[in-house]
Amino acid sequence: MTNQIIFVLFNGLASGMAFFLVAAGLTWVFGILKILNLAHGAFFMIGAYLAYTIGGASPASIWSFIGVALISALVIGLMGLVTDKLVLGRLRNVDYHYVLIATFGLMLFCEGVAKAIWGSDYFSVMPPPEVDTAVKIGASYISLYTILVIAIGLVTFVVLELVMNRLWAGKIMRAVANDPWMAGTIGINVPLVLMLSVVASFALAGFAGGILVPNQTLSVHVGSAFILYAFLAVVIGGLGSIRGTFIACILLGLVESANATFLPQYGGIAVYVVLAIFLVSRPQGLFPPQGVS
Amino acid sequence: MTAASWVPPGAQTSFTGQYVMTAIGAVLVVLLFFAPELVNPGLLFIIGMTLIQSVFALSWNLLFGSTGLASFGHAGFYAIGAYFTGAALRYGFQLPFVMTLLIGGALGALAAYIIGVVALKRLTGIFLAVLTVALTEAMGKIIGFTPALGEQDGLGNIPRPIINLGFAMIDLTNSNDFYRFLLVACLLVTAGLWWVVHSRLGRTFRAIREDADRARFIGIDVARYRVISFMISGGTAALAGALSAPWTRIVTLDQVNWLASTQPMLNSLLGGFTNFWGPVVGSVVFTSINYWTRSYPGLSEMLVGGVLVVIILVAPTGVLGILGKIRARLKKGDRG
Repeated sequence: MTNQIIFVLFNGLASGMAFFLVAAGLTWVFGILKILNLAHGAFFMIGAYLAYTIGGASPASIWSFIGVALISALVIGLMGLVTDKLVLGRLRNVDYHYVLIATFGLMLFCEGVAKAIWGSDYFSVMPPPEVDTAVKIGASYISLYTILVIAIGLVTFVVLELVMNRLWAGKIMRAVANDPWMAGTIGINVPLVLMLSVVASFALAGFAGGILVPNQTLSVHVGSAFILYAFLAVVIGGLGSIRGTFIACILLGLVESANATFLPQYGGIAVYVVLAIFLVSRPQGLFPPQGVS
Repeated sequence: MTAASWVPPGAQTSFTGQYVMTAIGAVLVVLLFFAPELVNPGLLFIIGMTLIQSVFALSWNLLFGSTGLASFGHAGFYAIGAYFTGAALRYGFQLPFVMTLLIGGALGALAAYIIGVVALKRLTGIFLAVLTVALTEAMGKIIGFTPALGEQDGLGNIPRPIINLGFAMIDLTNSNDFYRFLLVACLLVTAGLWWVVHSRLGRTFRAIREDADRARFIGIDVARYRVISFMISGGTAALAGALSAPWTRIVTLDQVNWLASTQPMLNSLLGGFTNFWGPVVGSVVFTSINYWTRSYPGLSEMLVGGVLVVIILVAPTGVLGILGKIRARLKKGDRG
């Protein structure tokens, strides 16, 4: 029993962190631009493909692995810049239905491009050699790559929290999120802040793609499992709250992992039960956005 | 880019225009009726799917275009109808086929009623979107665990029905015959939806979409009418699914996820959600793009996705909206 619990905890934390790596960029853009970017998963997928193309199927070391993820973050960030100039930037202050549809169209477009470039074959990527083993904790074996994902998720969370709450940049972003008009009148370059937020969010998607590609079947649909949980986490967490999303991701990861271990014949159901409970009982989320009202 | 106010179809065109449109529609229906003699079986299958997709998209657009609610889990309703009919035909339930279809539709409406009563009062916008997505995914998982519904493999080998009218038997096992039945059924459902949209009920829905607060002030029970529109929409989607099961002869889990739910949205927006016929036009355009680009992997997604983004940026009222704009400009040119 203890072994099972340790197993559930580690697996749950690892999936939770994986969800968070994907959800972080999503919730960031949601908090500041108030748009739910349906194409986020598609850029995650392109990030994963880029990491495969640059780093190959078996990364040489843990540092080159992380380096490759950072390169895909950079490239996807640049794509974010282009996307913002061409599409998202033109959709500010537009009814959210239109933005959802536009980002959905963007998602399809990206999937088409990925299919055209990389084809419909499946690829796979190995974890870097240093973490391609397992350690024994108690009586259960935990893969070191799992622990690496947990560590990277934690670091990402801490960095984002520090940026948002302790740095000038974060305070400016929060000001813009809260009241763009007022922020503009006190001399903040609002369009620039919005554009940089989009770039940062895309870069996070690219980074997540590079980090999470090992142990996945790399196809055009590699993002769909993560992105669905990321959407759920963003909603449970309170739209736009990084802290809330982080907690919601861990919660979803643990629920999913407990479900898979203790009720494998009904795998994947518990998450939706949790979501339904949250939506009906606490529709504003764990950490609802605080604004001046 | 404000939401374009709803214009009843035909209101802008003159009487002659309306007659021309009706004539074109009649010719189309006749052509569709004789399609089994005109095209090969492969293409006939695609035409049948387009009919079903059109009804599915129309059902979604009743919710979005009329009442202003967006469901991101419409595939759930479609699957309810498809799985019910599939199971009924495969396991030989002692039910007349038309009854099976109607029960399938009613089950969809019932599901919509439950969701509507529990959630629709509290949730709109993004929350409703995520809830409908999640419910559809959960339903897909449950079907995946149910042996009677084929688990991960889906329900295959669904037989086509024979309708017993008492005095005569209509044998639909032949695909040409079932196609004609499908065409008539889709036309009837479309006529029903047309009537709903143009009736007092439809005007109430539009009043709610335009301004829920004002609608409330003039005495419309907004929550109740939202649930009603949700029920009609869910029921029609389930009916489309019910019609699809004997046509494709297989029902799979591919039809029960959030990507499947985006199909009716895509078709509605491609064609133009402000016009009643937009979803139909969108379904035809989408199927055609898929058909002509089938040998180039990725091209159809690029085209459809690109067209969708361009439509939102340039003309959020879809293909029919663009045509309308062009027509208006041409008319102006005539006068000036």
